[in-house]
Amino acid sequence: MDSVTVVVIGGGATGTGILRDLSMRGVKTLLIERGDLASDASGRFHGLLHSGARYAVTDPRSAKECIEENAILRRIGKHCVEKTEGFFVRLEGDGEDYEGQWVAGCAAARIHAKRVDLKEARRLEPHLSRRAVSVFRVPDSAIDGFRLCWQNVASARRYGGEVRTYTEATGIERAGDRVVGVTVCDTLTGAVDSIGCDHVVNAAGSWVGRVASWAGIEVDVKPDRGVLIAFNHRFTNRVINRLRPPANGDIFVPHGPITVLGTTSSPVASADDNVPHVEEVLELLHNGTELFEDLPKYRILRAYAGARPLYSPGEGRAASRDFTILDHSTDGLRGLTSAAGGKLTSYRLMAEKTADVVCRELGVKAACRTAAEPMVEDPPRRLVTRARPFFPPYGLDLAASRLGAAFGPVVQGLQMHPEERRLICECEMVTLAEVESAAREPTTFNLGDIRRRTRMGMGTCQGAFCSLRAVGALVSHDLVADKDGKALIRDFLETRWKGIRPVLWGDQIREAEFQREVYAATLNLDGTAQR
Amino acid sequence: MSACDVVVIGGGLSGLVAAAAAAERDKKVVLIAKGVGAIAVGSGSIDVLGYEAGGKPVARPLAEMGKLPSNHPYARAGKQATAKAFEFFLDLCEKGGFPYSGSADVARWVPTAIGTLKPTCFLPRSMDPAPLEAAKAAVVVGFRGLKDYYPELIIRGLMQVPAYPKRFRTVIVDPEMAGRDVNALDIARWLDTESGRHACIEQMLTGIAPGNVVLVPPVLGTVPNYGVLEEFEKATTCKFIEITGMPPAITGLRLYDLLVSEIKKRGVRIVEHATVTRAVVDNGRCTAVVTHGVDRERTHPARSFILATGGFYSGGLEAGVGSAREPVFGLPVKVPESQSDWSNAFLLSGGAQPFARFGLDVDARLRPTDGSGKAVFENVYAVGRTLSGFDDAFEKSGNGVAVVTGYRAGTLVA
Repeated sequence: MDSVTVVVIGGGATGTGILRDLSMRGVKTLLIERGDLASDASGRFHGLLHSGARYAVTDPRSAKECIEENAILRRIGKHCVEKTEGFFVRLEGDGEDYEGQWVAGCAAARIHAKRVDLKEARRLEPHLSRRAVSVFRVPDSAIDGFRLCWQNVASARRYGGEVRTYTEATGIERAGDRVVGVTVCDTLTGAVDSIGCDHVVNAAGSWVGRVASWAGIEVDVKPDRGVLIAFNHRFTNRVINRLRPPANGDIFVPHGPITVLGTTSSPVASADDNVPHVEEVLELLHNGTELFEDLPKYRILRAYAGARPLYSPGEGRAASRDFTILDHSTDGLRGLTSAAGGKLTSYRLMAEKTADVVCRELGVKAACRTAAEPMVEDPPRRLVTRARPFFPPYGLDLAASRLGAAFGPVVQGLQMHPEERRLICECEMVTLAEVESAAREPTTFNLGDIRRRTRMGMGTCQGAFCSLRAVGALVSHDLVADKDGKALIRDFLETRWKGIRPVLWGDQIREAEFQREVYAATLNLDGTAQR
Repeated sequence: MSACDVVVIGGGLSGLVAAAAAAERDKKVVLIAKGVGAIAVGSGSIDVLGYEAGGKPVARPLAEMGKLPSNHPYARAGKQATAKAFEFFLDLCEKGGFPYSGSADVARWVPTAIGTLKPTCFLPRSMDPAPLEAAKAAVVVGFRGLKDYYPELIIRGLMQVPAYPKRFRTVIVDPEMAGRDVNALDIARWLDTESGRHACIEQMLTGIAPGNVVLVPPVLGTVPNYGVLEEFEKATTCKFIEITGMPPAITGLRLYDLLVSEIKKRGVRIVEHATVTRAVVDNGRCTAVVTHGVDRERTHPARSFILATGGFYSGGLEAGVGSAREPVFGLPVKVPESQSDWSNAFLLSGGAQPFARFGLDVDARLRPTDGSGKAVFENVYAVGRTLSGFDDAFEKSGNGVAVVTGYRAGTLVA
């Protein structure tokens, strides 16, 4: 049995943020996650780093938190953030009164919202609806949730923090009124283990209630489902919000070469169901078309769904997006803290407050430093120059920031071995060297893990070409010795299919037919029985 | 422009075979092609019927066809036309100097680039798997930098096949294309050159011995003949087998080139890079189709029209939310109202996908029908993937249906 001081349950933004915070304060911390990092809500949202303007009227406290954290994250997490800025757009027919309240709300929260001349707004965003009547500029940004979690972990590791993915907590061990450990199960092998610790942090997002219930404590976190659509091209350079009371399908966020439209909001019994439905997608498209009139003509990549963890009275969007730190010694159990509610933009603050509670109980005096220190260092200029010939112009910065500390060795490999330069994923411009680097990580078990680290398979072809190549390359380099290559390809295509199925028309159905011509007709990956 | 007997719309396998069959009957044929169709995606082997509806492998495809539902294209074409179509196809390949072998009576299993086996019937000699079944050991040749082909992945799969050897080794040939992305077409073009072939043979000889069975990607030249294969066999005294793989499928492109040159020999005029945008119809007949090419609109009058425009991938069918259409004639395509019923929860679900079976319903003469089962036009025929009632990817029947329905339509046109 291993033993650490603190075990954090949950590998989303909050959990990885807490791991980083505690590790920086010198507390020996291990994070466990039942899937891959960022595999739930932190990777299943619109990727918007809020300026707070969205909450300016309905939730002033969240608005203020957002703008403060927004400024911090742009500084410490600049490799996860694309500083796009955002527009709030009021269309003909949207209430003028709300605009007034919103302007006042932004001012009160100190969110810089500046009116943009309509002609200038159209010059900057030519695809925007001609029905726009007011446009304001706010400091919204795009943020990559996958990268954010990985970079939190990379930073934590420099301070001794550890992570175990595909490790599910199944119980909290107690001795009298004290927590003494966590029972865990390896989700890949089924092996059961136990980890001793002085303190457990419950950062399980929508599953916070489930984890707390193992200790006999009730925490009423309600999952609220949100569906999103990823489009195949970047038709806006800024985050576009509808200037009206928050509703479904009124946020567009550009991410590299794509654009995400979100979201819906509906209470669900379980956050485990993350398969989007056609009706939800159609509703989003219907609403989104008001902001971008040509939207129905745009090619869709896929749809996806995640769940907001709501912890407060109220339903859905009306509930506060605030967070609450629960020190369960008030429930008669020492050594358990739950981080309930919250949203990605304020994850760092939520982690700080949680770590404060844990440190107080552990008697650790060190103060939080997560707002002061960047998560990853900039790659040295000279290294970037050396790397330039081996990456497409657009791919270089992406690769440098996603690879972090591995960038140096990857560039070295590309220089020494020309064949490492071949693009495994042409859509997202991911080289063989990067795929191998991700595959060598001890936390990589399948193509999905490689996808979240490299973006391989997230582009137009949705895995049609890269899945065979990636598996082929991994088998050749003996990086998946104990696994069935065919099963890896198949699992990857099926996870992509979940998001394509609810948008199966237009070019999406063409792509699906193509994928089946390759993997079923030609390669017979589906033939259940062979000779 | 002088009127012709038949306009074939679509330059994929079904359109090429239809044009050849009509020309064989001395019809004056024009073939209008947008591109090469799905022939560059498939492997050039003619799969006839690999799996029955329940997912069991079919050992005797021709016999199994008798059990297919009446709306399956094979059932529509009829038993006699099916048998004749394959004879006609084999004859075309023979005359074109690139003979195929095989029979629709027996399934043959060929190795693939992911180490599976795939059921098919007719193959070029370079893909014949028989030597592998007889061998005790085999060599898999890879090419440095070829990014769609991984010998270790193939070996790992083929080791599991009971009838196959248990000993494999790998030889890697360096085509000296380092520093850029390489696909099968690059290697095939390299092997079209004498210096490329010599360099390749020289490198292979360091790892293979006389009598070996050698698996290679589909790269033995771009030209539809066995020149490269025979030169390799002679120089090494080994047996070579080309494996089916990712697009671009060189074996499929060879078949395309072969058929194009055969239909040209038979007097078919080919209009390339042209998209048929609409049809001119009069009183239940189509009188002409209109193309939009690189320059201007052109009208192509004819007595009969064969629609060989393919499925969703090729653009012969188009889907919107809850609806689908055939863009040239606006023919009806039946689909379930709810989008959720269009597909299965899994992409490779072990059964037919509803959307893969969307297409045109036809009568016994392959003429698209309206809701009541009546032909919409008396002189318009549909062939290949445009037809409804079969999932070619699941059944492994795409090229077979293309050959059979293409041939059948070519013999029906007036």
